[in-house]
Amino acid sequence: MKGRYEDENLKWIALLILLVLLVPFLLQGMTYSYRYYLYVLNIAGIYMILTVGLDLLSGYTGQVSLGHAGFLAIGAYSSAILVDQAGIPFGLSLILASLITGVFGLMIGFPALRISGMYLGLTTMGFGFIVRRIIIALRDWTEGSAGLAVSKPQLFGFTFNNDLHNYYLIYTFVILAVILARRIVKSKLGRAFQAIRDSGHAAQAAGINLSKYKLISFFISAIFAGLAGALFAHTMRFISTDHFDILLSIYFIIMVLVGGTSSIYGAVLGTLFIVSLDYLIVPQFKDWLSTFMSLEAGDIQSLIFGLIMFLFIIFQPTGLYGMWIKMRIYWKLFPFNPKKRFT
Amino acid sequence: MADLVIQNISVYFSGVVALDDVSLTVPSGSIYSLVGANGSGKTTFFNCVNGFVKPRRGNIFFNDSNLLDRSPHEIIHAGISRTFQNLENIPYMTVLENVLLGNHTRISAGGTFQRWVSRKQREKEESDGLKMLSFLGLANYEQKYLTGQPYAIQKLVEIARALVCRPQLIMIDEPAAGMNDQESMEMAKIITEIRDELGITVLLVEHDMNLVMSVSDRICVLDSGRVLAEGTPDEIKTHPEVVKAFIGEGADA
Ligand SMILES: Nc1ncnc2c1ncn2[C@@H]1O[C@H](COP(=O)(O)OP(=O)(O)OP(=O)(O)O)[C@@H](O)[C@H]1O
Ligand SMILES: [Mg+2]
Repeated sequence: MKGRYEDENLKWIALLILLVLLVPFLLQGMTYSYRYYLYVLNIAGIYMILTVGLDLLSGYTGQVSLGHAGFLAIGAYSSAILVDQAGIPFGLSLILASLITGVFGLMIGFPALRISGMYLGLTTMGFGFIVRRIIIALRDWTEGSAGLAVSKPQLFGFTFNNDLHNYYLIYTFVILAVILARRIVKSKLGRAFQAIRDSGHAAQAAGINLSKYKLISFFISAIFAGLAGALFAHTMRFISTDHFDILLSIYFIIMVLVGGTSSIYGAVLGTLFIVSLDYLIVPQFKDWLSTFMSLEAGDIQSLIFGLIMFLFIIFQPTGLYGMWIKMRIYWKLFPFNPKKRFT
Repeated sequence: MADLVIQNISVYFSGVVALDDVSLTVPSGSIYSLVGANGSGKTTFFNCVNGFVKPRRGNIFFNDSNLLDRSPHEIIHAGISRTFQNLENIPYMTVLENVLLGNHTRISAGGTFQRWVSRKQREKEESDGLKMLSFLGLANYEQKYLTGQPYAIQKLVEIARALVCRPQLIMIDEPAAGMNDQESMEMAKIITEIRDELGITVLLVEHDMNLVMSVSDRICVLDSGRVLAEGTPDEIKTHPEVVKAFIGEGADA
């Protein structure tokens, strides 16, 4: 009986909170480019909120989305406009922007009731294009392709002035998002999502209305993306359509895949991995690589990410999270015949 | 009262006659078996009751409501659940989670939220599933992931999933397929217990004739979508059409 709730045991959250609290100080002690690292961590945190939601939709429910950069954009622009042009407080606009994005998620969910797989991928990708077009067209609010400057986050009279403040703001939401998502997947909702992915027949026989739960999945996933977008707008303080490129949607999928789908933690790990690679590792090799391959910077990034995704799908389909689980089993059993379980 | 009454249903698949004017009544509280050669329409019959296939003609009544008016996901609300011939399980959920999936309609959405904060609520939600697992002798499996479990275990998990919502009638499609004699005998015992201890009517499709003969109250023999014979096991054994068909089959083989 005892171990049954282990997975939902939230003791590890305390550890995580401690880690999140300490990281800035560790970084400060370790490196001079501390500010840049914090900035990169902030981007990773924002993307984590989104990819956790993407895992619910694409990992758990099996509905491919190549349009999540579009949801991120809707969240970002909604919140920027609500706060700076409609005068709504930041705290309220976080909720409103998430809900607005959720409604768009529902709208994209409707075609998903009829199509799946590659066609759904293409449809959601088209959605991403349309969002960018519409943002440019709504010049009066969005400043079109010039981009939009956004105010700092303000909560309960406190203004988040720098990257350290933003860091704590963002990671508070990361932790909430992870807890919420884990709770969702371990509940009636999560079981319905997985049943839709693996066996529509079993789901229906169990009384699950496939359409209803697909829509709920799109709605929830878009809410996560909208929240991420709102945080993005106010902590980065400048948004333009370039921030929500179609390629970003594909990177989100890579993050979930590399981390390990259908685990939530995998999305977090994969996002941290890919963002670190993108902002910290790849730049180091850019010059070196471009000398003998004559590639543009953007091409190198795509090349490396494509390669990583390929390698993971072939050699480590359970992703980084799968590796971690195996390692844990390995160390638990360590001196006693670990090889047997290490497969 | 809670008899399942099928009246004159016919199903055609692009020229193939899957069910041809089938009428039968599954009495409440009985174990009723459908038998017949491969492709004789047994699974299609389940699919009709379950709403996956809409018959061209006919009616299906249960508790005085016409099941044909319902979508597949509404059938469980009428008190009917089922298992599948080919395993339809969720491989990356635990055995317990697979069983709880079957209780979807009885777990309130509000309870879901409560469950996030209250362990008591969580235990209440899980207790139905655990009871069903121990009823089927699977108590040790609750925490295991379904993927990689032996076929016989997966079959039982499906049955547990269909039973956990306490339906009035369960349709079981080939529970003993691929099982050895001893496993089949255990399955026969379980089927009897489902009716005797849980009070659930059983509609069974099974190729293992020993099992069918030993558990059934009534048997219906389908042949190319038509009802060839219907009656108690003894009547079926001596039914001239059935005997003819069996001998005919034997001569072919
Ligand atoms: N979805 C479908 N589309 C087309 N034909 C179908 C479909 N489902 C069943 N059939 C056909 O209907 C006939 C009856 O099939 P059914 O699956 O009901 O047989 P069965 O009695 O369950 O056979 P088995 O013992 O092999 O499970 C077969 O000829 C089958 O090929
Ligand atoms: Mg069949």
